Amino acid sequence: MMRRLSLLRAVALDSFLSGTRDKLFTLFSVFAFTAVYASVLAGVMAVDQEARVLSDMGLALMELTALAYALFSASTALLREAETKTIYLVFSRPVPRGLYLAGKLGGSLLTSALMLAVMAAMHLLLLRLRGFGVPDCYGWALAGSFLKLAVITSFALFVSLFSTSAVSTLVISGIMWTLGHFAPEARFLAEKAEGLRAAALKTALFLVPNLQLLNARDASGSACALPAAALVPAVCWVLACYLGALWLLRRKEF
Amino acid sequence: MSQHAVSFSGVEKTYRRPGLTGASYHTALKDLSFEIPAGEVTGLLGLNGAGKTTIMKLITGLLFPTAGKVKVFGHSPSDAAAKARVGFLPELPYFPPQLKPAAALRYYGSLSGLYGPALDAAVEAAMRRTGLEPHAGKRVSEFSKGMLQRLGLAQALLHAPDLLVLDEPVSGLDPLAIHDIRGLLASLNAEGRAVFLSSHSISEVEKLCSRVLIMVQGRLAAVVKRQEWEAAPGGLEGIFVEAVR
Repeated sequence: MMRRLSLLRAVALDSFLSGTRDKLFTLFSVFAFTAVYASVLAGVMAVDQEARVLSDMGLALMELTALAYALFSASTALLREAETKTIYLVFSRPVPRGLYLAGKLGGSLLTSALMLAVMAAMHLLLLRLRGFGVPDCYGWALAGSFLKLAVITSFALFVSLFSTSAVSTLVISGIMWTLGHFAPEARFLAEKAEGLRAAALKTALFLVPNLQLLNARDASGSACALPAAALVPAVCWVLACYLGALWLLRRKEF
Repeated sequence: MSQHAVSFSGVEKTYRRPGLTGASYHTALKDLSFEIPAGEVTGLLGLNGAGKTTIMKLITGLLFPTAGKVKVFGHSPSDAAAKARVGFLPELPYFPPQLKPAAALRYYGSLSGLYGPALDAAVEAAMRRTGLEPHAGKRVSEFSKGMLQRLGLAQALLHAPDLLVLDEPVSGLDPLAIHDIRGLLASLNAEGRAVFLSSHSISEVEKLCSRVLIMVQGRLAAVVKRQEWEAAPGGLEGIFVEAVR
């Protein structure tokens, strides 16, 4: 058990450190800072709604930036190791593929969490400079964004194991993220449809995570805490993608 | 304990390459059977595309055979029990350029199941053995090809494996680096470790190995023992040229 934990920690730490050392991480951080700072302009134009616009735009930009980074990082994580042959040095050792995959996923999520935390710190500082406090439900909004990143990162890792390039992984995962934000609308259409179309739409909905559930600030008033109905599907999606990726990885040759 | 470090029995490996108009197949190894005795240095010679790297990847569990059986110390190469006893040096190993050698070795040591004081001791011993100690303060990005190869060997030695699988260990190195690596491999073999190495350098194989396998287009063309090539008029080179022509 100790050995397995030590292995998991080693892979996750390596993934996290190589992620944070990557130029991509710095580039995205700088971009996020610029984008969040630019939201001040929109806030000023909103006059009496400045606090609302600043917080909402900031959170949206943070989520999009972290998403773009997480997708790039997850799409290339295993591919890069295979291209540089570092995977040879890993899988020629007694490293269970499941532990390696869990470590890689854990490291990617830690990196995304750090990126979100850095951006949140910049955002809150900006709000403070403009004379505003911490917006309502801010923590839950960040938690929702992180869960979305967890779902999409694990999905991208899964796709990267059968897609032919990092670009196709990016595109497929990006489409999934977009579809995930329109899942309730698709459900509405499915209920209106009839016959074969309804059946096809309803079946397809099982293959798309409902990411709208994780938009904590969409809930009104103080009820912004993410409910179990949002948390459980997100965890199930991460687990399902992990198991799918593991099934592929166990069969993969290098 | 198995008396053979590695045994191949009727092994075939076919690569499948998916394409738009259907998959294409390439058979890299055909009906391959041989053994690598424990404690010996065995060489693998062959032209490009003869299947040398495929054999090494099958031993290390990176590839799975299409047919036949591969055993490493009596286990399947995918078993942790087999992998724990094998050290692998791929051709042109890559290490993150920003790392110092000890950091890279610590990572691979931890993947080999070492931690705490045992890991520290293993990293120190591997660096000392491969002559990396004077370069401990440098980053991998400052390393020459020879030093990278030493680091590659060091990571393969960390867990004191009984079998070292080395893909082109002296390729592209200067004569001094070749001399040092040859000395290191000889000392490892003197400790009872089996070494299985592939090379394009017949003279290197001749100096190090007690037995050589010659591969031609995925088939084992000849198994030559030291006494045989020493007795042959053209030496190992003559036997090799005759086998591959």
